[in-house]
Amino acid sequence: MKHLPKHLRPRWRYLGVGIETWPDAVVGRRGFQRALWYSAGNLLGDTGSADAGLRLLSFSYAGGTGEAVVRVRRGHTAAARAAIACVSEVDGDPVGLYVRGISGTVRACEERYMGRAAASTTQRDVAFGDAERTAVVREDAYDLRTESGHVGAAAFDIE
Amino acid sequence: MYEAVHAHPGGETTVARHAATAARYGYEGLVVRTRAALAVDDENAGDEQTNRRRDPTALADEYGIDVVDAVEVDADDPSQAAGTVGAARSTRTAVCVVGGDDRRNRFAVEDPRVDVLVRPTAGGGGFNHVLAKAARDNGVRVEFDLGPVLRASGGDRVRALADLRKLREIVTYYDAPHVVSANPSSHLELRAPRELVAVAAEAGFDPEWVREGLREWGVVAARNRERLSGDFIQPGVRRGRYETER
Repeated sequence: MKHLPKHLRPRWRYLGVGIETWPDAVVGRRGFQRALWYSAGNLLGDTGSADAGLRLLSFSYAGGTGEAVVRVRRGHTAAARAAIACVSEVDGDPVGLYVRGISGTVRACEERYMGRAAASTTQRDVAFGDAERTAVVREDAYDLRTESGHVGAAAFDIE
Repeated sequence: MYEAVHAHPGGETTVARHAATAARYGYEGLVVRTRAALAVDDENAGDEQTNRRRDPTALADEYGIDVVDAVEVDADDPSQAAGTVGAARSTRTAVCVVGGDDRRNRFAVEDPRVDVLVRPTAGGGGFNHVLAKAARDNGVRVEFDLGPVLRASGGDRVRALADLRKLREIVTYYDAPHVVSANPSSHLELRAPRELVAVAAEAGFDPEWVREGLREWGVVAARNRERLSGDFIQPGVRRGRYETER
């Protein structure tokens, strides 16, 4: 199909989103896109969800952190931000999301808000409370595994 | 803006990790609701190293964010709660009382020593004009808990939204003070202030009103710190040099 004249093309905004999970979670592109649409559908309704769009353009995830570029129709960024905030889990794994910023072009969004890919993670045995635990260490963050589940700690708690 | 969190051992994330995340998200302060998460005076004191890790000032210096020691009083009957509130008032900066049923809500708003009534409508608790007036007269902030809006789904979320709306109508009509929080119990549940404002705006809140609610935690902390300082005698009266300027 012949593409639209410039003044009729939809205007977009691009949201740079930071993703954080527990280290053993697996978050996939499809799962994340589904969670976004599901959240938008529930919070904004079908009409609001269609208006906002919320298409995942790029996605990367490894070892408990990730980032994504989400395309949103201009003028609906506030609604999109709300829908993104309401994504609390992807395929049963809890996720922490943070909108790093909004840009008018994909390139600006990637240059400004992407590429903070996670530093590599290492596994280490650390003393926490009164027990020895295995921790997945990523910069300042220490994710520990205990009998009752995960504990998120920081270097300040360990050293 | 401030966020009030549940920290390890009451939540899944330690105060330090909460503070690191909140500072990155643009918060100015962190209110720690869990009593055992911070060492204040002799409470929860351990060895020296543990104390340093649980010291609000050390944490604040490390992460560049204000850390407020608070406590959540969760008692079944009002007389028991009154005792705990009285004991916590002299040591802790912020005293919150967990609501959730009619008796607890009523106790919290009628006691001026209480700073915040948290989760007043969780578990089917009611809130009405009598409580709103009492909250206003006693200066007790009513918490708007956005947690279920962010994390629940289906019927639970609809009920939570309906409760929030009803609470908002009552509280704004009587101009009772309010605070807003997402009640996060891990760093993954923490959301940035702009996100909370956006979600609340979708739920029909006025954005500025929500920001005010997020700032109010800081107001509570500042007021109580002054009151707990040794120079404070009573409102308007403090020890020290006379005022040279009027």
